[in-house]
Amino acid sequence: MNGCKGKENGMRMYNKLPGIRSILYFAVTVMATAWLMIALNIIFFCVVAYWYIEYNPDYIGGGEVMEELILTDSGYALNSAMEERLRNQNWWAMLLDGEGKVVWSFDKPEEVEDAYSLSDIARMSKWYLRDYPVYLRVWEDYIMVVGQPKHTVWKYNLEFPELWIDTVLKSFVWMVLLDLLWVLGLAFFFVRRWSKSREQARIEWVSGISHDIRTPLSMVMGYSDGLVDSENLTPVERQQMAVVRHQSIVMKELVEDLNLISRLEYSMQPLRVEKVRMAALIREVAAAFLGDAKEEELEVEVEISSQAEQSWVKADRKLLVRALRNLFHNSLQHSKQGEKVEIWLRMWREGKWCCVSFADNGTGYSMEVLRQLQSRKKKRTVANIRGLGIVYKTVLAHGGKIRFENREEGGSFCEMRLRAYELKK
Amino acid sequence: MDLYNCKIMLVDDESALRRMVEEFLAREGFWRVKGAGSCKEAREIFGEEHPDLILLDVMLPDGDGFSLLKELRRETEAPVIFLSARDEDENRLRGLGLGADDYITKPFLPQELILRVRAVLKRVYRIKDKGEEKKVIVLGRCSVNLGSGVACIEGKEGKKEATLTAKEYAIIEKLAVNRGQIVTIDALCEHVWQDGNYGYENTLMVHIRRLREKIEEEPSHPRYLITVRGLGYKLL
Repeated sequence: MNGCKGKENGMRMYNKLPGIRSILYFAVTVMATAWLMIALNIIFFCVVAYWYIEYNPDYIGGGEVMEELILTDSGYALNSAMEERLRNQNWWAMLLDGEGKVVWSFDKPEEVEDAYSLSDIARMSKWYLRDYPVYLRVWEDYIMVVGQPKHTVWKYNLEFPELWIDTVLKSFVWMVLLDLLWVLGLAFFFVRRWSKSREQARIEWVSGISHDIRTPLSMVMGYSDGLVDSENLTPVERQQMAVVRHQSIVMKELVEDLNLISRLEYSMQPLRVEKVRMAALIREVAAAFLGDAKEEELEVEVEISSQAEQSWVKADRKLLVRALRNLFHNSLQHSKQGEKVEIWLRMWREGKWCCVSFADNGTGYSMEVLRQLQSRKKKRTVANIRGLGIVYKTVLAHGGKIRFENREEGGSFCEMRLRAYELKK
Repeated sequence: MDLYNCKIMLVDDESALRRMVEEFLAREGFWRVKGAGSCKEAREIFGEEHPDLILLDVMLPDGDGFSLLKELRRETEAPVIFLSARDEDENRLRGLGLGADDYITKPFLPQELILRVRAVLKRVYRIKDKGEEKKVIVLGRCSVNLGSGVACIEGKEGKKEATLTAKEYAIIEKLAVNRGQIVTIDALCEHVWQDGNYGYENTLMVHIRRLREKIEEEPSHPRYLITVRGLGYKLL
């Protein structure tokens, strides 16, 4: 009974993108690591610089020398402590008057002139004097020049146009934004790659297990099925064999569900989308279920609105059948005597959605199961809601909505909504 | 060609499973079953026996069933049924795409396997099952002869015969094949009008009512052609 063989048959793999959370997690980790490294470097640099200043020869400014210079009757004289400091480090000093003549000097190297022109002074004020790094200090008309030994100091002048600084600061903001984007992109790429391979591994693992269980289970199913009617067994033994047989079928379903849910969980289940008439599908599943169950066990009431009869959904037929069957299974499992299942199919929002309601009068979902089915968390533990988990994931994979609840009058209630289209004659 | 004289080759690496399937096939009457545990053995047996049907596992120790099928297809047109422990759709489609006639997923019930083996053999070799020739459905005092399309009721007023219309015939035929099971409205419409779309439900109801007049003693209280409310019909 495949009423709606449409042209829309096709396969769609819905590729799940890595979650925002894992991307952010990755990005934050990368950025935190980067900042931490930068911070550590700065700290390290500061420590070294501080250590150098603390434990190395002191710096003597021109002003200091100037202050210690006293004018005596016999000319200028430096106090002996300062002399000691200068000499210790091989430094020298000289004082120029307004005309550029040297009026006083201390340890001045021979190659250094005794008189300077304005251009000489301008040159040395920024750079070197005959390769000696020098520092100038102006006091009234005089200029104090303090010189260090050759090749001991790097001198660079820093000079920035304000406009340039402005531009750089502005572009820095963009740079940070660009960095952020780059890191996010990187995070997206890696997270997807990692999560994909990890998910693949898990799917293969589950699929391997289910594969390995299938062959031995075939034999349990086969032999128990053969022995159920064996005349060599006592009625009690036959009864027991029927239990073995039934349970082996339950195991078969479990294995199938396990495989399917692991694939749905990681969105690796390809959806074979075709035109499916929901009304026909519901009747088919209900009829099959009634056929399997013992009559007194189950009563099914199907109500389909005439508008719903004429609609179809784009869906993977096999998955939808499985989902509906799981709902039936679940109802039957938690049934009291005289189970009654009601299914309604109606249209919703002017026929844009079809809405399947599935209700029973059993014991309802347990609190734990309900809590898990209703939780908004993405990662739900599907262990003990296996069958319903498939219902949930199937509807979600089809872009539908689903909710589970317990009815006030007792029993469970599940409603799923799928995008619907009108059947054209 | 007799169904039970067909030679069957079973390729599966699990010897216990091979033994079980052989047993069940033997119990059904298929006595010419040969088992192979690997591609190599399968090739040998194929060369000696030229089986009429091949049951093929997908995972084999020295290769996979898909490539073995490709290889065998060059020499034979014999039907092939895959017996696989993988239920993913890709595998099923790949197998069927390669020209396999059916695909059974492990674990399976023996009846399922035997039904499919039979169905494939009958389809491919056009063998008529003896059981199928009995084309008379007995419904209490009524008997419907599917060969002639005549329904016959032995009532109190004597024998009453009625010829079935084409639609009625199609309906009873579909119900008879699935006797005891519910046949949904959609499946009936699909079978009768070869069109699964909605729109024939009311017409179907009319045809069912007429059919009941021909086969039921009390058409307003049907005992054999039962309505299952909301779902479909059932022939008891």
